[in-house]
Amino acid sequence: MPDQVCCVCGDPASDLIGQRWFCGKHFQSAKRERPHTWRMSILLVVGLVVFVGIVYALDLVLHPALTGIGLVLAGVILALVPALLWLVFFYLQDRLEPEPKGYILGVFLLGALLASAVGIPLVENLYHVSKWIYTDTATTILGSILVVGFIQEFLKYAAVRFSVFPSAEFDEATDGVIYATAAGLGYATVLNLQFVIANGGVVLGSSVIRMAVVALAQASFAGITGYFLGRARFENKPWWWMSFGLSVAAVCNGLFNWLRGRIVQRGISLTGPTTNPWMGLALASVVALITLGMILWLIRRNIRTALAEKLELEK
Amino acid sequence: MNASTLPSKTASGSTRFADWEVIAVTVLALLAGWLIKNSVESRSVPFESSGISAQTPQGWLLTTAQGDEILHVTNLLSTGFGTTYIIQNIPIAADATVGQAVSLLSLQRGQALTAFRVLEQKQVTVFGQAAYELGYVYVESNPNLTHNEIPNVVRGLDYIFLNGDHAVIATFWADDKSFESDLGRFQRFLSSLKF
Repeated sequence: MPDQVCCVCGDPASDLIGQRWFCGKHFQSAKRERPHTWRMSILLVVGLVVFVGIVYALDLVLHPALTGIGLVLAGVILALVPALLWLVFFYLQDRLEPEPKGYILGVFLLGALLASAVGIPLVENLYHVSKWIYTDTATTILGSILVVGFIQEFLKYAAVRFSVFPSAEFDEATDGVIYATAAGLGYATVLNLQFVIANGGVVLGSSVIRMAVVALAQASFAGITGYFLGRARFENKPWWWMSFGLSVAAVCNGLFNWLRGRIVQRGISLTGPTTNPWMGLALASVVALITLGMILWLIRRNIRTALAEKLELEK
Repeated sequence: MNASTLPSKTASGSTRFADWEVIAVTVLALLAGWLIKNSVESRSVPFESSGISAQTPQGWLLTTAQGDEILHVTNLLSTGFGTTYIIQNIPIAADATVGQAVSLLSLQRGQALTAFRVLEQKQVTVFGQAAYELGYVYVESNPNLTHNEIPNVVRGLDYIFLNGDHAVIATFWADDKSFESDLGRFQRFLSSLKF
């Protein structure tokens, strides 16, 4: 096939998967299933829950008397932990399936930058979401999807699509999930930092739960966008594919926010509403595991189907 | 790092079309979100008392009016100090001027509100009606000493209208941080005020 070029690097192509041509090198990477990526995702969920448990227990036992700058610093450290945890797991698995760390860090920073420069100002200063979104259930669901969900998921999509997506380093469908997760964690880190700064520090016990929930949710929904991005890169998908993927991620994001609000709210007491943040963490962990598990299954199935079709054609 | 770009066969018109389509879908979602926001913010319930009527925001907490107040509503979803609209109907001497009514009101505010400072005062026309505008700031603190909260800086705006032997005062109080963003909705409320 002299006319065909690899859809990753542009070199002469020799193999076909899912209507896209690959050179020998990128054919090998395109059919990899990367089990370590999924182990890393499960480790992130488990690691975050363990970290939350440790900080919560320390707060209960030691009652640290933090004030002023100490309180803010403790909050900033807590806000950075989910991303650092993921990066540590990523570094550990990276020895087996190398991915350029510069790109990962770049996409993470881009996600953070877009959250800070565009996402948060749009949600809080233009839409003033907190002032109207909780008016009634329908408004909460629609506002969470159409405003918060779409803004957050579009920015994570943009952080990947307009940076690493066209490069030769984006050489397999799973890369979409890895880079989008990095963008999602960048977004989550800024959301958590903003929460710390806006409150002039945070109460360690309950805040560490909130931060873990935000990180898990942002990483999971970014994973959905990343899955659609990954397949759009290596397959000829219909015109509606990517916008459908972004919409799915935005709907999941919005529904999660609504459901978390319902689950976390325990009741009303004389001193005001009482909450149970542990329920939010349980929900976020389950959602993260289900979402990432489904993406794993879909990518594996897709690779195996494409390879089976290729074998069928060769026969 | 071999970071070549996407080959031309894949960076095709369809990829670019997909990009524009994603942008278009996001813009449409945000426009729909804006419509919902506007629809929620313009929901109102009619109010009428002592010959004064207005459209008050739906879902706000209606507090029992005190003294000369005939309406006192607060948005519980506000962050910090809850944005509040008040209408007062104060009896005045038949020959009293608007300046005298404003002086009386300033005096009352100064006595009732902590760290009260007038920022500006001027004569204005509000939706075709002559009025006096009094802009000020004060500090609102929870009187419960067990609440370890930082007091809120509140900005206020009074519109004083003369109505025969009464002065009708429409008041807007909002947290300093949300004053500007909440002002538009108060102006819609003001436009619905009839007496």
